[in-house]
Amino acid sequence: MVSIENISFGYENKEKILKNINLDIKQGECILLCGESGCGKTTVTKLINGLIPHFCEKHNLEGKVFLSGRHVAGTELYELAKSVGSVFQNPKSQFFNLDTDSELSFGMENEGMPPEEMKKRLKDTIEKLQLKKLLGRNIFSLSGGEKQTLAFASVYAMNPAVYVLDEPTANLDTQAIERLRKQIGILKREGHTVIVAEHRLYFLYDCIDRAFYLKNGKILCVFSKEEFHKLTDDARISMGLRSIQQAEVTLPQALPGGRRDGLSAEELSCGYKKAPPVFGKLSFSAIPGEILAITGYNGIGKTTLIRCLCGLVRERDGKVFLEGKEMSARSRRKQSFLVMQDVNHQLFSDSVLEECKMAGREHTEEQIRCVLEKLGLLPFLEQHPMALSGGQKQRLAIATAILSGKKILIFDEPTSGLDYVNMRAVSEVIRQLADANHIILVVTHDREFMQCACDRVLEIK
Amino acid sequence: MKEKESVIKVLDPRTCLMLLIFANLITFFQSSIWIEVGWICFLGCIMLFMGQYRMAVKWIFTYGFILLLQYFLLPAAPKAITTAFTLLVNYSRRMFPCLMAGAFMIKVISLRQFILAMRKMRIPQNLIIPISVTIRYFPAIKEEVHYIRDAIKLRNIRSADKLEAIIVPLMISATATAEELSAAAVTRGIENPIRKTSVTEIKFRLPDYLYGFIGLLFTAGAFVIK
Repeated sequence: MVSIENISFGYENKEKILKNINLDIKQGECILLCGESGCGKTTVTKLINGLIPHFCEKHNLEGKVFLSGRHVAGTELYELAKSVGSVFQNPKSQFFNLDTDSELSFGMENEGMPPEEMKKRLKDTIEKLQLKKLLGRNIFSLSGGEKQTLAFASVYAMNPAVYVLDEPTANLDTQAIERLRKQIGILKREGHTVIVAEHRLYFLYDCIDRAFYLKNGKILCVFSKEEFHKLTDDARISMGLRSIQQAEVTLPQALPGGRRDGLSAEELSCGYKKAPPVFGKLSFSAIPGEILAITGYNGIGKTTLIRCLCGLVRERDGKVFLEGKEMSARSRRKQSFLVMQDVNHQLFSDSVLEECKMAGREHTEEQIRCVLEKLGLLPFLEQHPMALSGGQKQRLAIATAILSGKKILIFDEPTSGLDYVNMRAVSEVIRQLADANHIILVVTHDREFMQCACDRVLEIK
Repeated sequence: MKEKESVIKVLDPRTCLMLLIFANLITFFQSSIWIEVGWICFLGCIMLFMGQYRMAVKWIFTYGFILLLQYFLLPAAPKAITTAFTLLVNYSRRMFPCLMAGAFMIKVISLRQFILAMRKMRIPQNLIIPISVTIRYFPAIKEEVHYIRDAIKLRNIRSADKLEAIIVPLMISATATAEELSAAAVTRGIENPIRKTSVTEIKFRLPDYLYGFIGLLFTAGAFVIK
């Protein structure tokens, strides 16, 4: 079905991303591409769906890729679109339309399919993937999980033979991941070929037929399903892979509200405008030195809760205390910082040093250097924040929070789309902050991370 | 069930475009206030027929209020206030037909219908794609700005730097979003030169002819009645 022959690929004047890749995928197989960040797995998906070379400038490509017998580089993208469907990582930016119904039929309309057949396909897709709840809605009202389901469904409606999924779970909660697992199951039963590039592996445990492990642009090993299941934890960790099975969370519950030595929320409820409260009567405490995980399904109100704790939305009812003193929304804004899921939103300056100076004007350069040193950012002092890697940006945002003297640090999904090594790096940074007596709250779906990095868990229901 | 309802409540997007053009002509050529009042009532009725009750009430009341201001309150007010506000009130009243038609169009036409209408009007595909991506991108900007404003509130940024602080991250995320959006669109065959089909057909129905005809009468009136 898919065959990649002697592929080497790199952008002009840069080191090669893929080196001499060969692989052969049979019809109906479910293939996992795994490996550390930057190992080249996303590049492999792009070779298959034709984004490379058609949608990519200034590159060097050697070798050939064949899809259903057609040479990918020699076939127009819109022709390829009929036999390969792609789901991408970021659910926010893969919709062309603004309402769900239009999006579902978008691909078929582009193909010029007769309306009657299109209606039949739509009905079929809606039934099989249980999309009733998604119909007739505005794209912006969907939760992350719903968006990813819609992206999947709009590809499914086109009925391609091969599916390419590039880190589809990066922004999903456990429930949505479970739904995706079932959807992949449906594809397998219908005889489609599925290729998934992923960091999170546990949900593919039963689905996959083979797993390709990539490192530095080469395929190091190919596992059969059985071999993959037999991987020991040590072997997996040395390969830099995430857990193969769903991690158990055995953390104790969050402390009850009313503590005078930290942050305490009492009977807190919050909502927007006239709508019913997003969550109601929530009481808990978070104390310095401990890391509190906040979890719950997509759309349950975690974001509203942290926005409320940061003072970005007013509480409708209840109170928030810090060290026994009641805090208004305004004083919460002064005391707390939110490290956003997309840190690009919160870096404003043109160099790392300027960014830090902007955050704490009263600090000397010496003090700034000291903070950057601890976060491993000192070598990048003069760099533009946008030239940093994702993890470095995250740490820069943390540096600005420390420099502006914030006591409460809140992280929104700090590990989405991270491999094992980076996930561990984030947990270490967060642990250091907790040891420096910060109050830390982490919103996350990532159970493996929760179990290894947090002390307590608050599940919102 | 839904099908039946939609026959009365669906307008062809081209009708909306036509109404918008009429509204512009009326705004710039009419000299009789009655044509304008009639036009506003007419748009209000269309809104009501289309089930946009709140919208109709809001627009008609606002217009009524502005009329009241211009013809009854301002003439009776102290001279200083009259001179300060007459121009503003007069111009906002005159823009009303356009604003109302525009707001109505945005409310009832989805992006897809708009694209369909453009295709029907034989606008070339390589013009339709950029136009629709632009329209598609506005709500996304709104979402982005919302996040960035949150981030600014949590950092003590001087008011003088605030605009820059919004624009820099917005530009950066815009480039990323544009790239991802186009990748998603091309992998679903948007560049296919074949004649595109559609699940929902747009065509002129009775209401379209009716509204179009009445709109034409008003426009003619705007030119004739002085």
